Amino acid sequence: MKSLRLYKHAQVFKIALGIAIIVIGYIASVFYSKMQKLDDSVELIATSNQTQLELEKLLSIISNYETSLRSYIITKDESYLKDRFLNRGEIELNIRKLKKLTSHSPEVTKDLDSLKVMFNRRFDLFRETLTIAKAKNIDKNELNTKLLESTAYTNRMREAVYRRINSEAKKLRDLNNTHQFELEDSIISAFLLVILSLLILLLSFNKVNVDIDELKKANDELQFLNLSFNNAEKIAGFGHWKVNLETNTYTFSDNYYRLLGVEPHAFEPNLENATKYIHPDDLEYVMQTHQDSLVNHESTSIVSRFLPENGETKYFRIVGSFTHNSKGQLVKVGVNYDITDLYKKTVELEENNKELQAINDELESFNNIVSHDLQEPLRKIQMFISRLEDDDGGGLSDQGKDYFTKIRTAANRMQTLMMDLVNYTRTIKGDKTFVKTNLNSLLDQILLDLALNIEEKNASVTIGNLPTIQTIPFQIEQLFINLITNSLKYSKEDVAPEISITAEKITEKETYQDIDLTDKKYHKIVVSDNGIGFRQEYAEKIFVLFQRLETDAKYSGTGLGLAICKKIVENHNGCIKVRSKPNVGTQFSIYFPKNA
Amino acid sequence: MISHKDPIHILLADDDEDDRNFFSEAIAELKMSNRVTLFKDGKELMEYLNQPEIKTPHILFLDLNMPGKTGFDCLKEIRTNSKFKELSIAIYSTSSSEKDIEETFVGGANIYIKKPNDFSKLKKVIKDVVNINWQFHSSGLNKETFFFSI
Amino acid sequence: MKLYIKYDGIVACRVILQEQLEKHNVKYQLLDLGEIEIDGDIAEDNFAELQESLNHYGISILNNQKSQLIQRIKDAIVEMVYERDKLPTTTISHYLSEKLNFSYGYIANIFSEYTFTSIENFIIIQKIERAKKLIVEEELTLTEISYKLNYSSVAHLSSQFKKVTGLTPSMFKRIVDKRRLLVNQVE
Repeated sequence: MKSLRLYKHAQVFKIALGIAIIVIGYIASVFYSKMQKLDDSVELIATSNQTQLELEKLLSIISNYETSLRSYIITKDESYLKDRFLNRGEIELNIRKLKKLTSHSPEVTKDLDSLKVMFNRRFDLFRETLTIAKAKNIDKNELNTKLLESTAYTNRMREAVYRRINSEAKKLRDLNNTHQFELEDSIISAFLLVILSLLILLLSFNKVNVDIDELKKANDELQFLNLSFNNAEKIAGFGHWKVNLETNTYTFSDNYYRLLGVEPHAFEPNLENATKYIHPDDLEYVMQTHQDSLVNHESTSIVSRFLPENGETKYFRIVGSFTHNSKGQLVKVGVNYDITDLYKKTVELEENNKELQAINDELESFNNIVSHDLQEPLRKIQMFISRLEDDDGGGLSDQGKDYFTKIRTAANRMQTLMMDLVNYTRTIKGDKTFVKTNLNSLLDQILLDLALNIEEKNASVTIGNLPTIQTIPFQIEQLFINLITNSLKYSKEDVAPEISITAEKITEKETYQDIDLTDKKYHKIVVSDNGIGFRQEYAEKIFVLFQRLETDAKYSGTGLGLAICKKIVENHNGCIKVRSKPNVGTQFSIYFPKNA
Repeated sequence: MISHKDPIHILLADDDEDDRNFFSEAIAELKMSNRVTLFKDGKELMEYLNQPEIKTPHILFLDLNMPGKTGFDCLKEIRTNSKFKELSIAIYSTSSSEKDIEETFVGGANIYIKKPNDFSKLKKVIKDVVNINWQFHSSGLNKETFFFSI
Repeated sequence: MKLYIKYDGIVACRVILQEQLEKHNVKYQLLDLGEIEIDGDIAEDNFAELQESLNHYGISILNNQKSQLIQRIKDAIVEMVYERDKLPTTTISHYLSEKLNFSYGYIANIFSEYTFTSIENFIIIQKIERAKKLIVEEELTLTEISYKLNYSSVAHLSSQFKKVTGLTPSMFKRIVDKRRLLVNQVE
């Protein structure tokens, strides 16, 4: 999930944390200000209440005063008047208190000021009334007028106060509403805050959990890898080492020690201990290479002998290269692996090769011996015989002359055999260099070379469209020469030989010694003739060295030709098969691998 | 110019005594007018040829497989000496490998003969060689392309 | 630096003859190649000198009448093989007897008596010789050469080539090429 990926991304998380902090901070500050406001509004409510109360008090004081006055007027009892200055004082105090309470509101202050003026006027009126009431002769009309005025004024005052009181009450109501509203708001903010914090807490917890799980998993894998690596080292026979060039500390793996025939960590990992196991003859070379690499920081790969604890000298390949560790320090890491077996095998192989080369050389000289040294005496024999025969048989009897003929035939046969043997060995050793060869050109050339023979036998040779394949040219030449010569040799007596060489596509299933010969993998070339043929049951036999079928002397042969053909085809990773019918003809099928 | 009536001077260098005998017998039986000089190794041959007053022989039959100075060595030596430009050299060898034949022609031989194993064949070969050689000289044919393989 | 040379022996000979005859103050008329009509006589010592100078070039003045004839036969054959771009389609015998004004039987006899080889053989040798020349010149393919020399096919040429020289044309070419390389190396 993409979001999950983002989730895990540390950077994004940091940003998220930042945003979360900002959001919470914001909400907290909002909450705080809301609380402040709440506080303020409560205070305002209290103030308002108080104001109302004081105002009511004011009115009641005035009422009291009025009542007292009235009571005096009625009873003329002076005791009702004794509190009048107190009341005035109280009013003064009240107004002052009120002023203090409503100091924040200049409008109210103004109101109060006018109220104060009214009170003063009222008290003036009281005084005037009192003065009138206190007179010996109470003027009833004046008193009534004054009383009426006072009452009217008191009413006016009362109205003013009540106006104020109402306005305060209204203010109170408003404040109450706001207060209520703000309370709700604060509750929501608080709630949001709690939820958000909880959410963040949960998310963080989850992330930490996930991270821990991953770490655990990674750790497990690492442990597993370490284990398998150690095992692999054991199995593959190599040990690794590490040298931190800046701290000059050496680390050797468990198998490093085992390779040296000791228990893991049997000795302290350092250069001195490690080099103790190097074969003294190779020590200098190894140290030199190592020291050089420490200077030029180039990778090294050398082979050296080691003398492990348990005796036998081993051959190790030591490979090292330079890298930086997680702290940025330069380290050289490397691997020692045991190539003793490989080395021994290589040595063995080289020895085998030398032997083979020696055998090859021997074969070569054998070839030379056959070519020259064996043929020479044979030739002489033939020469001397021919001299004798020329000399009218050297005075021999007919029987003697016959013997000589037989000797000559045998000698001739021996010579042919030797030539064929030389040819055969040439196909065994010889250059194995493959060259792209156009078979058509090759066969055209062969036909030219054999032109005389072909003409002699009045043969007709047809060549179809042949592929171009990778071959050892002189061997393939020999192959076709042999096959064509055979076809010419083993032709029917009065029938002109017809030989054809064509390429065929493999359509039917064909096999040779368990190998499927498919069109995809093999070219098929067919050399067919209309010669004397042979029985199909000898199809395998004719390829065997020195095997001949026709013992009729008319068909001279040494039995090597087809064996040579088979060898040549095998040299090309192909195979040769034959089909024949006596007195009908013979068909040789040669299979060459495609993309040899 | 060589006329067939002129005695032909033939040289043979062959380390094998029997072969030398066969050769001189064959030539004798051919009844051609000729002069035959036999050498048993390359050293003798070259010593003879390097004599200053020697007239160039007509044909040299040269065996390849001789100890010491081989036929090939002699061939090279003779061909680097312009004095023997007119000398036809017939290599006389047991090998029939194409490679060897080519090598001798490239080395400057004119004729390659595979040693026959029959006396009458030998006679024919010598006769043919002499004939061809005479044809070449009498008809002014190109020495540079005078290659024959028998 | 290598230069490849093609030469026409017959032209070269003619030029040499002319130069030499003029040098020796001999009035002459070149008839066929091999035949010069001399005006008047030549002094004996002059003649000897002339003979010697010509010998230098491998040209010799024939004395014998018979050998003159042989030479004429040879020349005729050489001309036939070399001069013409394509060999004549009439039979050789016809051609020769026409050219030399003798019966073919006589020509053949004289030829084999003195050269120990038959005319047919000589013709074959000449043809092969020309084939060699053409192969060395490297301008024509084998097919073209066989056509030029009147062989029925390349195979026919090749087989005759091999019969006469013992080598196939390709082997021959290989040898010539290798020799060229060798000669160049020496230089």
